[in-house]
Amino acid sequence: MRYADFTPYDLVLLAQGLGVTVGLFTLTTLVGLLIAALFTLVDYYRVPVLRQVIVTVSEALKNSPVLVQLFLVFFGLPAFFHINMTPFVAASLTISLNTAAFAFVIFRSGIDAVEAEQVAAAKVYGHSRWQILRFVLLPQAAAFSIGPLVGLLVNQLQVTSLISVIGVFDLTKIGNILNLRTLEPFIVWTVVGLLYYALAKLLASVGARIEKRLRRSVVWEGI
Amino acid sequence: MNQLWVTLRPHLPFMLDGFLLTVFACTLAIIGAVLIGALMASLRTSGNRIVRGVAFAYSDVFRNTPFIVQLFFFFYGLPEIGIYIGAFETGVIALSIIGGAFVSDVIRSGILAVDQGVIEAAKVSGLSRWTIFTKIVLPIALRTSVRPMGSVLINMVLTSSILSTITINELTGTAKIVASTTFKPFEVYLVLLVLYASLTYALSLLINTVHRRLNRAMDTGGAA
Amino acid sequence: MIVIENVEKRFGETTVLKRINLTIEPGEVVTILGSSGSGKSTLIRCINGLEALSGGRITVDGNDVSTKAGLATARRRSATVFQLFNLYPHMTALENITLAPINVLKKPRAEAEARARELLKLVGLADLATAYPQRLSGGQRQRVGICRALAMDPRYLLLDEVTSALDPEMTGEVLDILAELARGGTTMLFVTHEVEFARRISSRIVFLEQGELIVDMPTERFFAEDGGFAVPRIRQFLTKMKKD
Ligand SMILES: Nc1ncnc2c1ncn2[C@@H]1O[C@H](COP(=O)(O)OP(=O)(O)OP(=O)(O)O)[C@@H](O)[C@H]1O
Ligand SMILES: [Mg+2]
Repeated sequence: MRYADFTPYDLVLLAQGLGVTVGLFTLTTLVGLLIAALFTLVDYYRVPVLRQVIVTVSEALKNSPVLVQLFLVFFGLPAFFHINMTPFVAASLTISLNTAAFAFVIFRSGIDAVEAEQVAAAKVYGHSRWQILRFVLLPQAAAFSIGPLVGLLVNQLQVTSLISVIGVFDLTKIGNILNLRTLEPFIVWTVVGLLYYALAKLLASVGARIEKRLRRSVVWEGI
Repeated sequence: MNQLWVTLRPHLPFMLDGFLLTVFACTLAIIGAVLIGALMASLRTSGNRIVRGVAFAYSDVFRNTPFIVQLFFFFYGLPEIGIYIGAFETGVIALSIIGGAFVSDVIRSGILAVDQGVIEAAKVSGLSRWTIFTKIVLPIALRTSVRPMGSVLINMVLTSSILSTITINELTGTAKIVASTTFKPFEVYLVLLVLYASLTYALSLLINTVHRRLNRAMDTGGAA
Repeated sequence: MIVIENVEKRFGETTVLKRINLTIEPGEVVTILGSSGSGKSTLIRCINGLEALSGGRITVDGNDVSTKAGLATARRRSATVFQLFNLYPHMTALENITLAPINVLKKPRAEAEARARELLKLVGLADLATAYPQRLSGGQRQRVGICRALAMDPRYLLLDEVTSALDPEMTGEVLDILAELARGGTTMLFVTHEVEFARRISSRIVFLEQGELIVDMPTERFFAEDGGFAVPRIRQFLTKMKKD
């Protein structure tokens, strides 16, 4: 008899952890993409100062460990600004911003990938900068961006596992609990790993389907 | 600002130790990753379907699961099967393994991108498969892979911070201790963030230099 | 001697070469003419073993290219020059030329390099031994390609449209060298669209049409009114070539 065997209730725990992981991933993805879109607008309209700030912040986020970002937000912000911070809020904030930093770069290069001639042509016809963005750049940039974006999100899904370190009860944290209780590391971490793997594959296949559809509507495939 | 310096200064030697440990761990892991990656990439060109499948599964599994889960798998699992190695060794091995998965993909795409015509020229001149691989395919693939390989290595450095979760006092580990002893988590983690960003920036400069050096003479874009 | 017997080549459903028979004797310069897609490149690629035969047999000095050992020997006896040069981009001109002599013929490096420099001098590139392909013009690259082939001291030189990626001036540079080689007695199997040049240097001309070898004649007969010209398809081909 081991220290404490697996019980059926462990499945409930795992399901809860999975729910937290999926929930937080979905939330941070939506918020992150929204922020990235705002960043992209600021960049597109060349808003002075703000643009430099955004570029600097996103470079810092891309080039430092997410774990350090989590510590900065979870331990640093409350101590410095004397505010309250729950693990969940800190995690959501950090992962959202991190996703935003990477997505911003993807969006920007998506827009850059649209040929300059098209933009010039649109200008000649007297379209405003907004109209050019809305009708010329966005549809094509979306098609260019979706592939890298799916790759990013598959990666971000795995990044969410780090929030367990600041005490969010996500899938990895549940793994930690079960691991300590059952002392069956191989079983626990294999199951947890497989769940992440399945999520990643699901995400990738949904992404591939969306990419196919977007590309079909943008790329002219001949008669 | 001065106040911060006074607070942090006594802890700098300790953090320098952490920094050096990060550099040491990453150096070892990068060597390991490149070796594993090269091996896996060549296995993926094997004639045997099972060997190919295993090499593919390796990169697929380790790329699609979180590093921290892999790390715990080894850290808590290895002693269970009677392998008692230190946390540092475990960390370096885990980092090499995930790095190897990414490196293997980079090398593989580098190899696939080598101009087929160039390989044909080597074949008809009677060179052996081995010579073609080591003298033509690999050197060309290495040159085109510098940048993607660079991002993998930078990612490994960032990922190494997770080693702090298994009691390794590398840079992030020491910072954690300093943050709690000085009660200045914001300042300490901000400095830490800047340190990592500078480290990866320096690495990216190095990578660009290597890329330019290696490709100065060579046009890898195609035949003509 | 290169002997091609009843060679067939299929890619899936499509038959690209149909029962080809052709013999190339030492000292001959044989030109393969034919319109685009007629199978000229495929025939060359069958001889140097880049494509497996679907039927028939090819031997180079008696070595069957369908066998491993036979192909290895055949590849030592022949050398190929490519349309797109296919130089090793990470090696200097000299390294491009000496790689196979050192690794396949097991020549000492010094000897291989001396020979390479000799060849480079022959094609007028003595100063560019240490240049990388990227720095060279198309014509210079192809001249290095020819040196790389010649460094193997091949009995047979296989050339597939080696000037079609070059502008007229560079084409001239390369053709002059080939003419020189032909005069020197190098055996060549030559695919080209340069009909006039083929007429000048080749001893025989064969004509491929949709995978079939429909004519095999000494050069003079091929261009004679009552020889090749009498075949409507060839007359049409030659007239069209003249116009271009
Ligand atoms: N790997 C391949 N797979 C399928 N079909 C092929 C392949 N290689 C060549 N073919 C087909 O075989 C036919 C002959 O091709 P080949 O390249 O030998 O023609 P060619 O006479 O050299 O033409 P060109 O003058 O344009 O170089 C063509 O119809 C071509 O499409
Ligand atoms: Mg051809």
